[in-house]
Amino acid sequence: MKAHWTIAGKECVQMLRSQRGLWWLLALTSVLSAFSFLLVSNTELSLLDNAQVVYMMAGTVLAAGALLAAIMGSDAYAGENERGTLIPLLCAPVASSDLLIGKTMGLLAAWGLLLTVATPYLWAIGASGQNLWEAWFYLTLFGTPVVLGVGCLAMALSARTGSVLASLLSTTILLMLAASPLLIGPGLRGTAIGRALDAINPLAAALNTFDSVIIDSEPFSAQVTRLLLVAAWLGLCFMLSRQSAANIHFNTGKIS
Amino acid sequence: MSPLKGLLAAIFTTLLWAAVSTAAQSPVAVDLRPDGRNPVAPVMGDHLQFWSTITNTGKVPIEGMVAWISLVEIDPGNEQPVDLEDWSAHKAVTGVSLLPGQRLQTNWPMRLIKGGDYRVVISITDRRGRQVYTSPTIQFHVCQKPVLNAGRVLPVAVAVPFLILGLMAFNRAKSHRRNEKTYIGI
Repeated sequence: MKAHWTIAGKECVQMLRSQRGLWWLLALTSVLSAFSFLLVSNTELSLLDNAQVVYMMAGTVLAAGALLAAIMGSDAYAGENERGTLIPLLCAPVASSDLLIGKTMGLLAAWGLLLTVATPYLWAIGASGQNLWEAWFYLTLFGTPVVLGVGCLAMALSARTGSVLASLLSTTILLMLAASPLLIGPGLRGTAIGRALDAINPLAAALNTFDSVIIDSEPFSAQVTRLLLVAAWLGLCFMLSRQSAANIHFNTGKIS
Repeated sequence: MSPLKGLLAAIFTTLLWAAVSTAAQSPVAVDLRPDGRNPVAPVMGDHLQFWSTITNTGKVPIEGMVAWISLVEIDPGNEQPVDLEDWSAHKAVTGVSLLPGQRLQTNWPMRLIKGGDYRVVISITDRRGRQVYTSPTIQFHVCQKPVLNAGRVLPVAVAVPFLILGLMAFNRAKSHRRNEKTYIGI
């Protein structure tokens, strides 16, 4: 069995067996359940209100996935270092690329688990509305590169700084920065600076796609540019993490 | 009154009436009909179509004509104009010129987003005139479709967190048993 599969399996099992991983899942399902309870109080929604709710739920799942990736990515190298398990891991006959791929596959599995948990909620809310299948499909298509990209970036910072706190803080600040155009409202986002930020922001690209597909029922052809942006984001972050993982510098010295 | 004076008065009255009625006649005629394939009892999510026919009944061309569709909700206590943003992608015909006698037929598709009673109307104006001409209105009722089923939402909202809590309890019990076995040396 290849080393990266073994590492991915361990990461995946840790998510399901560790109390920390399950607490995380419980927190997410509690948010989604609270959303659902709020909605049940008003069953006479218009089709548009319903689509809006599905859009918000898709956005929440994506944000939770990105946050989970930031935490897991920050823990990937720096966490192992702080627990004292990194040196034995690096001394084992495992190539640094295998370690990185294994950790990335672990991230992918965690995102898959999050999507699986969120699917019944999306179905329960959107089954009688519009574009439910499209919502799920685009959440998977755009969410996967965005979440993995965040995770890879966190891993790059984790491998470079050797500190979970520093990596997590930096990734979270970056995530908040990426989310900030969404908070300033459509009016300001229509300005030249707002449009420029949207053009390079993978999180905004994914959320704009959800809006376009779930609420406005626009076709795939209208999403291609945004899909290229999130694919480029993933490629860039993966390259960064590969570079950092191949050349780890911590206080204890250089391991390459 | 002499017969001649009476005749002159009758001619004058006829001419005056003709002049007034010509001036009052609208230079545009607008007709609005529902499409024959529209559902009889439309439900939220259905599509409706309306056909308007605009005819230039005047003697001068109409330049820069704008025709637009308006929708008004007329549910008691909820009377309001509806923002067509999500109801229709085809909200207006602009910049059209119509020669005298010429007519323009336009299709107005619409997706029914919300239940209730509605009235639709087409309005027209042009670059020169200051008046707005309207079509007859068409009234229709959109049946509410439940988009949120509490019987579907509640079980999911309750069961999924409990499932995870169950998994946590199972993991804890398993780990506790393992620790006990280690402690008694099995």
